[in-house]
Amino acid sequence: MSLLEVKGVSKYFTTPETGKEFCVFKNVHLSVDEKEFVSVLGHSGCGKSTLLNIIAGIDSASDGYAFWDGKEIGGPGLDRMVVFQNFALMPWLSVHGNIRLAVKSAFPQHSRHEINKRVQKYIDMVGLTGVENRKPAMLSGGMRQRVGLARAFSVEPRVLLLDEPFAQIDALTRGSIQEELIRIWLSTGITVFMVTHDVDEAILLSDRIMLMTPGPEAQIKDEINVNIPRPRDRSTIIEHPMYYSIRNKIIRFLSTKAVNRKELSLVA
Amino acid sequence: MKKQPNSGWIVLCMVILILFLLVWQLLGGKTGGLPGPIPVAKSAWFFLSDPFYNNGPNDQGIGWLTMYSLARLATGFLLGTLFGVIMGVILGLNPVLFKALNPYIQVLRAISPVAWMPLLLYSVQNSGVTAVLVVFMASVWPTLANTAFGVSNIKKDYINIANILQMNPVVKVFKIILPAAGPTIVAGLKISMGSAWVAIVPAEALLGTLGLGYFVWNEWNNLSLTSVIFAVLVIGVVGVILDYLFTRLAMRLAYVD
Amino acid sequence: MIGKEPDKSHVGSIKSLNDPFDGDVSISHNCCGHSHSSTDIHQTADTEAIADRAIEEAVIRGLFKGNEVSRRKFMKLVGASTAMSVISSLFPLDAAKAWAKDASGALEKTDLKIGFIPITCATPIIMAHPMGIYEKYGLKGSNVVKAAGWAMIRDWAVNKQVDCAHMLSPMPLALTMGVGSTQTPFLMPAIENLNGQAITLANKHKDVKSPKDMKGFTFAVPFDYSMHNFLLRYYLAEGGVDPDKDVKIRVLPPPEMVANLKAQNLDGYLSPDPFNQRAVYENVGFIFKLSKELWSGHPCCAFATSQEFATTMPNSFKAVFNAIVDATAYSAKIENRKDIAQAIAPRNYLNQPVEVVEAVLTGQFSDGLGATRDEPDRIDFNPFPWNSMAVWILTQMKRWGYVKGDVDYKKIAEQVFLAGECAQIMREKGYSPPAETYKKHVIMGKEFDPHKPEEYLNSFTIKKM
Repeated sequence: MSLLEVKGVSKYFTTPETGKEFCVFKNVHLSVDEKEFVSVLGHSGCGKSTLLNIIAGIDSASDGYAFWDGKEIGGPGLDRMVVFQNFALMPWLSVHGNIRLAVKSAFPQHSRHEINKRVQKYIDMVGLTGVENRKPAMLSGGMRQRVGLARAFSVEPRVLLLDEPFAQIDALTRGSIQEELIRIWLSTGITVFMVTHDVDEAILLSDRIMLMTPGPEAQIKDEINVNIPRPRDRSTIIEHPMYYSIRNKIIRFLSTKAVNRKELSLVA
Repeated sequence: MKKQPNSGWIVLCMVILILFLLVWQLLGGKTGGLPGPIPVAKSAWFFLSDPFYNNGPNDQGIGWLTMYSLARLATGFLLGTLFGVIMGVILGLNPVLFKALNPYIQVLRAISPVAWMPLLLYSVQNSGVTAVLVVFMASVWPTLANTAFGVSNIKKDYINIANILQMNPVVKVFKIILPAAGPTIVAGLKISMGSAWVAIVPAEALLGTLGLGYFVWNEWNNLSLTSVIFAVLVIGVVGVILDYLFTRLAMRLAYVD
Repeated sequence: MIGKEPDKSHVGSIKSLNDPFDGDVSISHNCCGHSHSSTDIHQTADTEAIADRAIEEAVIRGLFKGNEVSRRKFMKLVGASTAMSVISSLFPLDAAKAWAKDASGALEKTDLKIGFIPITCATPIIMAHPMGIYEKYGLKGSNVVKAAGWAMIRDWAVNKQVDCAHMLSPMPLALTMGVGSTQTPFLMPAIENLNGQAITLANKHKDVKSPKDMKGFTFAVPFDYSMHNFLLRYYLAEGGVDPDKDVKIRVLPPPEMVANLKAQNLDGYLSPDPFNQRAVYENVGFIFKLSKELWSGHPCCAFATSQEFATTMPNSFKAVFNAIVDATAYSAKIENRKDIAQAIAPRNYLNQPVEVVEAVLTGQFSDGLGATRDEPDRIDFNPFPWNSMAVWILTQMKRWGYVKGDVDYKKIAEQVFLAGECAQIMREKGYSPPAETYKKHVIMGKEFDPHKPEEYLNSFTIKKM
């Protein structure tokens, strides 16, 4: 069995105004193996974030099963750490404090010295040395997400769940953080599951891309293996012969399946 | 020399004070009416120059009286804060329970704390304890309401992080919930403190416990309006200081989201 | 000591101590209640014998309810020794005597708290503190504690925050009966003062002469269960004015009475001094009638303790009782009044201008109508709590509907107003208290017979029964 298995998972909501039941996605199947970097790509509102939340254990499926490491997912855990789109940093804590919070939770028996060492290691790893004492309000979007990544890596999870992690970061900064992510992923051997709506990002980072139709009743309709060898470089990847065939296939998928967008009122 | 743009208000504040004193001097002082600022100043000097004399249980210096009132205030306020924050966290995390209890909270909140005094005195049968409980009744409701509101409005992301990090409930409350709701809670505390200070003065006068409220009544008994006005000023100044302390606390706990 | 005749040659001047077991001797006297001059007491009398005799007399008086004829008949019939054994089987004479003489018992509590309201009625209670009288009886560390109002002092007394308290005379009766509060048995061992009140009217009513001119007025009294309320109602009713229908009577704290008079919210009030004199001092009112002009020698305020205090701490009770009797006798002397005024005027006691307090206590005052008067018994001090006064208060409580149904006048009066015990202490100190505990009183010219309370009640046209 794969590390992560999602079988026939569906999610329904009841709209508060009309009381009618609304299906976000239906009968979703996917699996992720150890050390893979897998992305789910789709329009906003197809429910991909909800899918991620179900895998993270902070939301529950209406139908179907989700298995993690052979066991059914019953709740959240340190082995499935999340990086949120809007960073989810504690604004009253400094950079150091935010990461420390996670480290203390993951390694409660460590001494103060050991904890501080670990925190510093990850601050340095994401390139934020020198701003340890700043509060999130004093950081740019890119820096904040670096903190988010540092926090996520610092607990040494088995899988990293990324929920549109770079959507709120400007295009110029995005590139360098993406490269940081790959670098760390390669060195730690961690598994990554990412949801995104950025096609180029998905191709640059993933081993496999799963394509999700727009909601309601979204489904994972196609899967693409990204056979471009690693290490992949932002500036040179577009010159790879496979790049544009993959890209075009994805774009075609997204534009033809974008039928019922108007009916959607949910945020993914 | 360049004028600092923010200092203009100080000058205006002083001007208003001087104008007020002039008007008071003009209107006051007529026989049988309110005393003017000069007799009040004399009275103030008389009391402030020996603030810690002790002439038995019916007559002590203004320093002592203020301290007694503050001691009662502190005790009642701490009790109210403890109860208000604990209940507020519980209700903030349990929306159904909150909705069910909310109507009763609103009713209790609307009752003047001094109106509770006879019932409390009858049950507790001790004036000193009753005074503290009146302060408790004044300070608990704004704190409770604000805490519940603050806790129920915490961003879901923070709770999610706490759950992913597998924090036990106690750690969750102290490390995530209270800091996140902190500014709202302190805003509630500030209101509670104001309410409590307002309540303690009539409570003391009605219960006869030694303090600023008692002082007001005792001087009124002698129809000594200068002393009464002086007492009113002391009460006002202490109230301002208390409020300022909470403003500072709010600044310390504030964060930018 | 029982049955032994005292040496009569020494007891000549103690009029009341004849042998109660002697059928040939009368023990009834016409005594005034005042004991100003007690200089004719001989200290050489056998004090123990006197004490014994006093107890026997009090007991026998109680038994025969002051009826001299039946007592003498009874004694003649059965003889002294038989009477003695019969009576001691009904009443523990020995215990009573022991109680009375036990002045050497250790005080259970010396730092008593005695509540008072800052009015001149409380003069003996207050002045006993600066003048060291509490200390004299071993009550070191005792303090007088000021209360803001009657409800407060009632709560303090019931909650045991004070051991004894200054109260209005009707209050111990009301508390014992459970009227207007939870039922708690209280005792009134001594009266604080006689007279000491007045009807004060606003300056604009200088032409008012009688109750008929007062229809539609708004009055204030300090408390419902007070002599002030009952005297005001009595005065108005005698003048044909119904106090519940023709005027308004409100309860207010005394300083607010002065302020309200000034603000023209009140037409007048019947309140304790010094607030009547204070109205004159502040130029807002004048003294219309002194309360002694309504009932000369009426009781005003009381010294009260809970029954629990008296039974659980009898030695402390006795000590403070002694102190009060002493203080009252000292205050009674007119030559002491000026010093007392100086002692009790400051902030921690009455907190009033000294001139106002002096005017009240010395009885030399200006009445606000331009005249200067000299009435030494404007306020007077005598501790003796006549049981008949208690009966009068009870009739008035029934008259105005504060108490409904049948009232066992004698029982309640004797349970609460400790006339017998007060008399005994007075005698020990060498004062001469009255022999009787009941007597007839004259209020506004009309006689009150305490043995006929129901007839008295029925004789009134204006009542609320």
